[in-house]
Amino acid sequence: MQRPVREAGPSGPAGEVSALGTLEQRRRRIGLAALAPTLLVLLLILAYPIVDSMLLSLASVNVAGTGFARHFIGIDNYLALAGDRVFRQALWSSVYFTLLEVVLVIVLALLVALLLVHPFGRAGFFRIVLIVPWAIAPVANAVLWKWILHANYGILNSVLLQLGIIERNIVWLGTGSRALHVLLLVDVWKSVPFIAILFLAGLSKIPTILYRAARLDGANAWQQFWHVTLPSLRPTIAVAVILQTLWALRIFDLIYVLTKGGPAGGTVLLNYLAYRTTFNDLDLGYGAAIANVIFAMSFALALAYVWLLKPGLQQARA
Amino acid sequence: MAGRSRVGAWLARSTVIIGLAVFTFLAVVPLLWMLLSSFMQQQALTATPPDFAPASFTLDNYVQVFSSAAALGRGFLNSFIVALFTTAVALAIGAPAAYALARLSVPGANPILMMILATQMFPGIVIVIPLFIVMSRLDLIDTQLVLIIVYLSFNLPIVIWILRGFFLAIPPGLERAAAVDGATVAQVFRLIVLPISVAPLFATAVFAFIESWNEFFFALILTRQSAQTAPLVISQFAGQYQTVFGQMMAAATLAIAPVVLLAVIFRNRIMQGFADGMVKG
Amino acid sequence: MASQGRTADIGRRDILKYGAAAGSGAALWAAGMRPAWADDVALNVLSPLPPDPAPPGAAKFSEDALKNWEKANGAKVTYDAVAWPQLHDKMATNFASGTHVWDIVYMSGWVPEFAKFTTPFVDKLPADLVKDLPPSSFSTVTWDGKKSGVVFTLSLLTLFYNTEHFEQAGIKEPPKTWDDLKAVAKELTRDGRYGWVLNYGDPAGIGGVASYWMCFLQQAGGRLYGADGMPAFNNDAGVASLQVMLDLMKDGTDPGSISYVGINDATNVLLAGKASMMMNWPFMWKPAQDPANSKIVGKLGGALLPAGPAGTASIDGTDAWTITSTSKNPDLAQKLIEFYLDPEVQKRQVIDTGWLPIRLSTLADPEVQKAAPNAAIVLEQAKNPYDSFVTPDYTQVTTAIGTEIQKALQGGQSAKDAIQAAADQVTAIVKKRS
Repeated sequence: MQRPVREAGPSGPAGEVSALGTLEQRRRRIGLAALAPTLLVLLLILAYPIVDSMLLSLASVNVAGTGFARHFIGIDNYLALAGDRVFRQALWSSVYFTLLEVVLVIVLALLVALLLVHPFGRAGFFRIVLIVPWAIAPVANAVLWKWILHANYGILNSVLLQLGIIERNIVWLGTGSRALHVLLLVDVWKSVPFIAILFLAGLSKIPTILYRAARLDGANAWQQFWHVTLPSLRPTIAVAVILQTLWALRIFDLIYVLTKGGPAGGTVLLNYLAYRTTFNDLDLGYGAAIANVIFAMSFALALAYVWLLKPGLQQARA
Repeated sequence: MAGRSRVGAWLARSTVIIGLAVFTFLAVVPLLWMLLSSFMQQQALTATPPDFAPASFTLDNYVQVFSSAAALGRGFLNSFIVALFTTAVALAIGAPAAYALARLSVPGANPILMMILATQMFPGIVIVIPLFIVMSRLDLIDTQLVLIIVYLSFNLPIVIWILRGFFLAIPPGLERAAAVDGATVAQVFRLIVLPISVAPLFATAVFAFIESWNEFFFALILTRQSAQTAPLVISQFAGQYQTVFGQMMAAATLAIAPVVLLAVIFRNRIMQGFADGMVKG
Repeated sequence: MASQGRTADIGRRDILKYGAAAGSGAALWAAGMRPAWADDVALNVLSPLPPDPAPPGAAKFSEDALKNWEKANGAKVTYDAVAWPQLHDKMATNFASGTHVWDIVYMSGWVPEFAKFTTPFVDKLPADLVKDLPPSSFSTVTWDGKKSGVVFTLSLLTLFYNTEHFEQAGIKEPPKTWDDLKAVAKELTRDGRYGWVLNYGDPAGIGGVASYWMCFLQQAGGRLYGADGMPAFNNDAGVASLQVMLDLMKDGTDPGSISYVGINDATNVLLAGKASMMMNWPFMWKPAQDPANSKIVGKLGGALLPAGPAGTASIDGTDAWTITSTSKNPDLAQKLIEFYLDPEVQKRQVIDTGWLPIRLSTLADPEVQKAAPNAAIVLEQAKNPYDSFVTPDYTQVTTAIGTEIQKALQGGQSAKDAIQAAADQVTAIVKKRS
């Protein structure tokens, strides 16, 4: 590693002299230049709406009264949120949902990935099967599952009835709690493929000599998994957990198409609540406050993960 | 000892086979049903149990979908153009940015990365109104361009995040060797790093394409008629007063077909891209 | 690894990519700019997609008449036809931005909500047109004393029932009272079918579970708001009306009802012969006669909604046209609305699309009565109360009430508690507004 020389005329590895500064400084400049378009795009397109939304959360908008004009009210919206039963329930439901989803997705995706690296699972057929659920549009996915879960004509009830597993049709989306768990399973179904692909990638990066060494030491399959596979996968699992958490907190299409937050508000999760408050109630300030809460939660969680798993992520760099 | 390991091996094999079977079943059956019901008549679908007699099958659902959505063709074209350009530009500016964050000792790389990722954390639903206001002042509503711009901002962070991960894992020795030979940073990037990253580049390209194709809510708000995308067209088949299930499934099948085909055709590249994006060892 | 040729390719590919992106970007940008042909005045209309109530041109009727109108008035009418559930979101975003996109906007219960963004024009309508419209049709499009919209189809909830099921069970006539309704629903729940079906899945809006309850509320003689604008339903009428729904739910309702989010879900069940009765809008008549989708062709009967203690009552679908305040051609827009209300156009509306006309004279036309046998029933229903209680926070109010009703329907709370909770929440919402 070159140590930067502080006066003009440093020498590079081949003894080159450059008036532009050290190699490091040049690389840094080029790096910033390479980064600039991205930062520009994100700043221009997203920064304004995000900042505007934060400001909006500090205001009250009374469409029925004065139209879309804003009145600054400080943190009153957030204080109101704390006392809002509907918000608290949505918060709790979201936390519950996210936790369960992340655990389920990670475990199932890992299983799927392990199956697909096994000699039996290497056929291309399985990879096609894996990738298709990921590729379908969330709206199409929601519409499909609405059809499958239909209380009277859905294929799920038909099959279960025919097999004698149930005696009469189950209304899958009939109670708040049942609907929430059904949504969970559907979203897990949709989310596992991408995470499984990530794990497949991670698995293939593990050098085979590690396994060979473990076998030489007399480790059986389970011990190999525990002492070789899992530790090597740690950075990938970290990325997967972060991504899946972010996505679980933002679930929307399924709720919008399947339950509209019902029954009895049982499937009102935070993102849907933000939508409903903003677009149905036209309470823009309050809706923006909810959105900012989601933002803060996601940010805090991401920070927490990164901090907790820093050693793991450092491994990826080594 | 040998006997026990043979039983053990047999057990392991059976577990794997059962596992694969269950996985295939769960993944495939819903989609098969979507395809199947798109060819069935309403009467057959609302019978309990569904009537699978040959007479129940029909092309009528597709005929209806094609005839009542002249917008279908336009929707597909718009989706294609928007997704294509979003992907191209996302890669064009995302790959260098990812390299900069991975290798070029940019000051404050970690905070910048966090900030880039943070844009993903904001619920899109709520920024849609300020975004709409800005775009309508720029007179960009109902253009393909506005969708490209917005989707670009959604996809860039993930593209950068994934590519950066791969660039980090490339052994620095390769690049150092090239630098010793006098290559500039740009040359190292173009001639050394990019060629061995074709697979992850491909993977992120397909990812960005699929995400852009499938996006619904912003397309709904930011377009009127000319720039409608495929998902919007499907949504028009969830009728208000009566649902013809077969038509709904037909519309859904059509809308997802291109993207699914894309993913299937390029599945190996995608898998490879996430997997062998770098030199081993 | 990569060959020399391939790396060179990548360099060129990059340039091509950049160039293509830039060039097409410019082209798209240019294409995005809309040219302004100055010949015809452009009128933009936001309307639902058929089969929801849509105007000529968006729906297939009176299209030649529209062309003639355009020629006669030097106008070009462009439709943004959007799936019904997406209308509110689109118009809310547009109004929030203050930009002008549409001259005429369809509304369904949102007139008070968006009153600030519409122009009151009803007072400028020709007198003979206004005389031909039911006076009570203006109650849901009036706010703050200003009439900002005109309803263009008579759309009230009425009872639809399966005549075959009734015959088989030996029931001579459709239920006339609440007790009849409960008894008949229970009686007809057999052989894998249910007596009653309705979509209780969406709490909010016109056609949500709260609005259905408002039918029963009025049948019990209740009102949603008092003269002071505060909730006035936390009383016997409010509780009794919810109790009817709960009793029906216990005995005789399709249990899937709680999961049906749109009325189409419930309609499907009736049309498949799996349920015997439901409340629905007049439009339902048409799809029921379509053999491709309906198993009950010719077996559908219509009747007034069963009466509660105070008689029968219903709610108004309030499908109305409004003119935006940003429109540069409000007079021309008004002319277009008058065209939509033209007697001949209204006649074709019902005959071709199934949506009843609003003009009293057209409703009395024998041809119309033949094409829409249920028109007479809807007219009769219209002689009784049909208030939809629309206010600016209609969506929020119905969400709150609807959620409590759903809890009660699931057996989670009693009718009394539900009404109490709903009243408390509505009070808070109304207070916040004023």
